Amino acid sequence: MALSKEEFEKLAVLSRLRFSDEEAETFRNEMDDIIAFADTINNAVSGGTDDIKNISENAVVYTELRADEVVDSLPNEKILSNVEGSKGFFSVKRCVK
Amino acid sequence: MKYEMVCGIETHIELATATKIFCNCTTAFGGSPNTHCCPVCTGQPGSLPILNRKVVEYAVRAGLAVNCTINNNSHMDRKNYVYPDLPKAYQISQFDEPVCENGYITLDSGKKIGITRIHIEEDAGKLVHEAGSTFIDYNRGGVPLIEIVSEPDISTPEEAREYAEKLQLIMRYVGVSDCKMQEGSMRCDVNLSLRPAGTTEFGTRTETKNINSLSNIVKAMNKEIERQEDLLESGGHVVQATMRYDANTDEIYPMRTKENSDDYRYFPDPDILRFTIPQDFVDKTKAELPELPDAKLKRYVDELGLPEVTAREIYKYRRVSEFLDAAVANGAGAKNTANLIIGGIYSTLETEEDKEKFNIKISPKQMAELVKLMDGKKINKNKGQETLLKMLESGKDVSEYIKAEDTAGISDAELEKICAAAAEANADAVEQVRAGNDKAINVIFGYVMRETRGKADMGKVNRIIRQLIG
Repeated sequence: MALSKEEFEKLAVLSRLRFSDEEAETFRNEMDDIIAFADTINNAVSGGTDDIKNISENAVVYTELRADEVVDSLPNEKILSNVEGSKGFFSVKRCVK
Repeated sequence: MKYEMVCGIETHIELATATKIFCNCTTAFGGSPNTHCCPVCTGQPGSLPILNRKVVEYAVRAGLAVNCTINNNSHMDRKNYVYPDLPKAYQISQFDEPVCENGYITLDSGKKIGITRIHIEEDAGKLVHEAGSTFIDYNRGGVPLIEIVSEPDISTPEEAREYAEKLQLIMRYVGVSDCKMQEGSMRCDVNLSLRPAGTTEFGTRTETKNINSLSNIVKAMNKEIERQEDLLESGGHVVQATMRYDANTDEIYPMRTKENSDDYRYFPDPDILRFTIPQDFVDKTKAELPELPDAKLKRYVDELGLPEVTAREIYKYRRVSEFLDAAVANGAGAKNTANLIIGGIYSTLETEEDKEKFNIKISPKQMAELVKLMDGKKINKNKGQETLLKMLESGKDVSEYIKAEDTAGISDAELEKICAAAAEANADAVEQVRAGNDKAINVIFGYVMRETRGKADMGKVNRIIRQLIG
């Protein structure tokens, strides 16, 4: 299925991304490829969650999971470098009335 | 019509790990907004969540402490919902293979409240709504939680409170969480419905979310029972909804109509490997569980001979009970230790939280040295209390305040002599007591205490003087 120009522009607004017309065309085509790839996966697995579970049958023993050791977080400016109107916070349009 | 209540509780508890569930960011409470964050816990594309081993260990420990069976195979699922407190538009949780299942908690009445399951999941961020914007702090996002789901076995608000209180104490005893309701490290959601008394079919339930204190559980439930009763009585029906209880106004109101669990479109998280929890690890964890609250309370009463009210005042704070156990192990008598803790140490610890932390300057061993003097009647209760307060202030040993000669004790013969002198010196008081004014005897006691510099055993003094007065 192909992504329309309008759909692409809507996604860009929701994602807070801005593109030149040229970039928009490139990325729209790339997204088409990605969606087509996802369709391939869709067709590769039939059945319910049990079948999907079997695909990732290799389980890890809990002892091989990550150790509980603190590593420095990212600096606030860095984590917010793509955020608009921050004051140290992520922000969205007010989500309750 | 008469109604009966059916209630189950979902409890979220933040685990006391050092790092978040899927990344190495700290879980420390507070901190400036968005300073405990990384690409994983802010859900950046391409980041890879890796499960924290300690989260699994703590969940197993929590499950065993409430009599659950542990699933040897488990995995994480995605629970999809769109709200800005979750940056990924889904929460990583567990659906059909939770770490623990089929446990229970026993109430004091002997009634068992079943625990359906305990699963692990990530906490969401905090939202602040201001003017036209919602500001988001993801410091809490990704902090590990266990969600403990009870069976609908709870029949009164008081049972609900007891269940939550016991759960809180057990989780504190096994050390998986500090369970501070006021700071949100333990939060209760109450599912509640009414049905005509004697019937078996469930009515439509509502869920009251994020109740933040034990007493508010009772208040919110009473309010919701009242609301549902009014609805049913007036011929209406209850709508399945999420409710919010406002403790300041004692009001309950609907937040949003409830989604069914299907709406969350759970599916296994393909980024996170399935994991196994070997049975030998489960067995080892079970063997290493500390003494649990109910067993401790029973031991205090049956073996240490503490009155139940006293035992309860001690056992409800884990650190206090450990302090008492250690003092007793160092040779102190349990009764004097408990009384000194309640009458002395508690007076210096103002809040519940202070008692919970139990940061005091003296060690159980130092406490034992003091208590042993009381046990051996070398010093009396008042002297013991007074000395304890000084020790708590300075952190010094009892030998700093009570010298060997002070505790040499007073022989019975000597004490009788002093008592006789006291009666003679206070002939007026003796007459008053004989005439029925019992309070006057305090004058004579005071004389004895002065003469003995507070060393006399008041029980003995009382007996001798009453004999003398006749």
